[in-house]
Parts: sequence; C-alpha cells; structure tokens
Amino acid sequence: MMLGDWRRCWKGKRSDERAQSTYLTASLSPREGGEGERSKARAAHLLRSGEKAGDEVIAVSQFVENFLQALVAGLLTGAIYGLMCVGLSVIFGVMRVINFAHGDFMMLGMYVAYYAFGVLGIHAVFGSTLGPYVAALIAGPVIFLAGILVHWLLIGKVTGMRSSALRSEGHYAQLILTLGLALILQNGGLYLFGSTPVSISTPLASNAWALGPMYRDRIEVFVNQGQTVAAFIAVVVVLAFVMVMNRSRLGKSLRAAADNPEAATYMGIDVTQSHRLAFGFGVAITAIGGGLLASGTSFQPYVGLEYVIVMYAGVVLGGLGSVSGAFLGGLTIGLVQQMSTLFLPNQLQNTAIFVVFLFIVLLRPQGLFGTALRGT
Amino acid sequence: MLDIERLSAGYGMVPVLHEVTLRVKPGEFAAIVGPNGAGKTTLFKTVSGIVRPTAGSIRFEGRDLLAVAPAARAHLGIAHIPEGRQIFPSLTVLENLQMGAYTEAGRRAWKENLEKIHTWFPVLAERAKARAGALSGGQQQMLAIARGLASSPKLLMLDEPSMGLAPVAADEIFERIVSIHESSGLTVLLVEQRVAEALHFADRGYVLEAGRVVLEGSHDELKSNDRIRQAYLGM
Repeated sequence: MMLGDWRRCWKGKRSDERAQSTYLTASLSPREGGEGERSKARAAHLLRSGEKAGDEVIAVSQFVENFLQALVAGLLTGAIYGLMCVGLSVIFGVMRVINFAHGDFMMLGMYVAYYAFGVLGIHAVFGSTLGPYVAALIAGPVIFLAGILVHWLLIGKVTGMRSSALRSEGHYAQLILTLGLALILQNGGLYLFGSTPVSISTPLASNAWALGPMYRDRIEVFVNQGQTVAAFIAVVVVLAFVMVMNRSRLGKSLRAAADNPEAATYMGIDVTQSHRLAFGFGVAITAIGGGLLASGTSFQPYVGLEYVIVMYAGVVLGGLGSVSGAFLGGLTIGLVQQMSTLFLPNQLQNTAIFVVFLFIVLLRPQGLFGTALRGT
Repeated sequence: MLDIERLSAGYGMVPVLHEVTLRVKPGEFAAIVGPNGAGKTTLFKTVSGIVRPTAGSIRFEGRDLLAVAPAARAHLGIAHIPEGRQIFPSLTVLENLQMGAYTEAGRRAWKENLEKIHTWFPVLAERAKARAGALSGGQQQMLAIARGLASSPKLLMLDEPSMGLAPVAADEIFERIVSIHESSGLTVLLVEQRVAEALHFADRGYVLEAGRVVLEGSHDELKSNDRIRQAYLGM
C-alpha cells in the first residue's frame, strides 16, 4: 500500500454528481464535504484503470474505499463523542447522578462557541480557521461556571451527603430535577437563541485531505480537515483531564469522594465541593465537545436530545464511572454509527447504535471496558 | 482533649444515644466497649459530623465541634478510622495514604509520616501501587489505620479495627495499635467488641449499653468490677 500525496480538495459540484453517488452513504450526514470529490475521483479512477477492470474488482475496491472512509469518519466523530461521554461519566462517576440535562449543557456549549465566535469577536481576532476551535475551548470555562452555579442553586440541594443518608428514598428528586432542568434549558434556549438552525462556518469543515490514490488508483480516502482538528483537540482535552484525575490532589480527592463519600469526609474532603467541581468539569468537557461539533453541523436549541442518547449509550458501553472507558465507549459509538452506513440507510445510524448497545448490555453488562460495578 | 457532654443522637425518628458523657484526656488510650447496637459507631459518626446530635455538646480541645463542618473536623486533628475499613478501593494504596494526608498537617509531615507508616506496616510499602480493593481484609485494615495516621492526627478514633478479621490478623492489628500509641504518645479512642483485649490496654474504659454509658472507670477499676468480669470477661 502506498500513501499518495496529501492534497487539498475543495467541495465539488455536488448536486450534479449526487445522483450517481448512491454508494456514498458512508460519508457523514452533517458534513458532506468530500462526496463530490469522491465521485469525481471515482470517475478518474475508472478512466485511469480503464474499462478493462472487471466489475467485481471495482465493487470490491469500492467497498474497501467506503469501509476506510467510514472508518476514518467513525474515528473522527467518535473522538468527539468520546469527549462528550467523558463529561457525562465524570458526573455519574463522582456524584452517582443521572444528568438528563447533559445534552442541553452541550447545546449551551455550542451556543457559547457560536456567540463567542461571531459576536464576541473571536472570529475577528483569530480568523475563521483557528477561531472556531478557540471558541469551542472558551465554551469550557463558561459552562464550567454555569455548572457550578446550577449545582450550587439546584442540584446540590438534592444530591451528595444529604441524600446518601436517605438512600432508601431513591433518586427521584435528582431525576426529576435534571429532567426539569433539561426542559428549562431547551425552552429557554428556544426563547433566547430562536429556532433557526445555526452553525459556525469554517473553511476547514469543507476541506479534506486525500489519502491516496492507492491500490492502483482505485482507492482514495478523504479526511475532513475540520473534523481532524476537532478530534485532535478532543483527544488532547481528554488526556489532560485524565492527567488531572490521576495525578493531581484535586483529581484524587474527586475519585476518593466517588469511591466513598463518607470516608472522604473523614479525610477532610468536602464532598459537596467535590460534587460541585465534578458537575462543573462534566458539563464543561461536554460543552467543549459541543463547541467542536458546532463548526461542522447546524444546531438548534433541541440539539441536546439527539446527542444525550448517544452519550448515554457511549458511557454505558464504556462501563459506568470509568473516564477512559467512557472515551472508548464514545469512540465505539462513533465507529458503529459510521460503519452502519455501509449496510444501512443513513436514517438508521442510531438504530445500529442501539442494536450494538443492547447486545453489549446483554452480554457484558459491566460495559466493554469496565469492571463489574461496585455496590456503593 | 475530647469532651462529650450529655450527647443524644439518632437516625431520623430513631434515637440511638441517650445523654452520653465521655472524656478523653491527651495522651490517653480510651476504650468504649459494649454489645452490638449499643450506639458505639453512632457515637463516632456524631463526633465526625455524619450524624447530627439532637442534644448535648462535643468539644475538641475546648472548641465546640458541632459548630465545625464535618469535613473540617479532620483538619482539626481528628482521624476517624471507620467501621468496616472503608478504604478507597479504586485508588492505589499510596493514593489512599495521600488522601489521608489531605489535611494541612498531614501534607506538611508527609515524608516522615510515610516513613513511620512503612515501618509500622511494611506490607503497605510493598503494595504501594496496588489497588486498595485488591488487598486482603487485614491489609485493608492496616491501610485504613495508616490512612488515618497520615493526617498527623491529635486524636485517633478506631471503630472496631478487629471486625471481620481472622483472629491472627486481629491480634496483629491490635498489637500494632498499642505499639503506635506507646511509641507516638497519640491519643487513642477505641471502640471494640473484644472487651478483654480492649480493657487490657486501655487507660480508661466506658461501657455503652443501649445508647447509655452504664459504667466507666480506669483500667484497674473496670478490670476488678464484678459486672464487667461476669458479662464481658467471662470470669
């Protein structure tokens, strides 16, 4: 296999070629950059390899190409899903709270990035290539503060040590509170931001690097530049967070509070404070994920609903409460979603996620990467 | 050092402690003995702030402990080694000790404390990088005690350190506690069901039954008390 030169491709005349590119379901639904080039490239391949090549060879190489394309798309989206899952799993891991509003904090992150980029002048300062990523990172601290505030005003009242004494009463208050919060954020978002879908426009989102042509010019895989940068940032954020959790005193105290809140109190760790920080970190990390998605896809205030399901699937897949597991879970979800487009229509992407999800829950209830759940 | 005055406490509507009065002097080895359900663990949890008292007062070095937030009490120098060990299973042995040293005093004396801990419990040095949940019961109890010691406490409160351990392991733990008390002069408050051993080593003992202190006295007084001899020492 040889890797061809990396070259820049621009969005082609997609409309003309879409009709003949029925095999291109592998490309991402929100980011269609690349479809056009691929049809064009295909035509070129056929010319180059001549009509002599048999239909079977073409079919096989087409499948391999689609497979590789889906693999790349899956890894790139999966990295961002992984980041979002890490945020959710921190909250569950430390607080044992099911946060139904998590997707809506992601939505807030998207809008923070959107407004930071357009209105607050990130665009003017950093330009349209770097700007969207700076804006996405800004969503982190902003939503962190929002999370701290929400925990202080609301969630802290029904969680933590206060409720652990009343464990027998169940977690109804937490469930209803976060569900209510989700509704408030969605409708508040609708009121504030309006229902018109928006997105951050960056030239990178419609540019792709070409891998190939390889295998006698029959296979060429396109790697979306915007997605690649976003995935890279997602991985860096996850690694940084894992370092904080594993190495720092703060991270260890969060893990201790997660392991045993009562004993953590005996150590002098303020568990309510730990929960507040965990909630802040959790929503902030997911908000960065949302900010990264915001430059490739259009969104509206209800966008959280689509993703919260994906996030929960990823977190459960990875094993509840494990940070690295959650990232791998999210990555798996991204891969399954994209790979499924090889065999299923685009609309069934999420169905594929849940089929795999159900199988894993049935066969390995502790999650793919988790150990058996502790009884806390 | 620790002055508990007419303390009553309970869970919700269920009262457990009734006007318990108890004193621990600096440098003393005090023991609380009594049957299951007498309220010994509840007493400790009230001192640590996990259970709120309904009446009475707790003073630590003259300071009103009830006005201090639960998590802040460790920082005053109280190390509570809870019943059933309650180590952090997913953290490593060393990380557990680091969490013990979460207090300012513990952080400042981290190196010396760790050295002492490793001489008292060499197994914790050997298994420093193991997940605490992977240790044996006896080792977990050692870790729980060491974690408490890592905070540089003034008062060590031990809740049934021998519970759930094989007799040999329990003996070992007991010996270690006594030698730690003797070598460091640390004030110790011990809750124990192994009455004979507890009273043997204690300077002062309290008998707690059904949430009330029914008997108290010095080592000699309790050992010669007929009721203790009959009910607890089987003599």
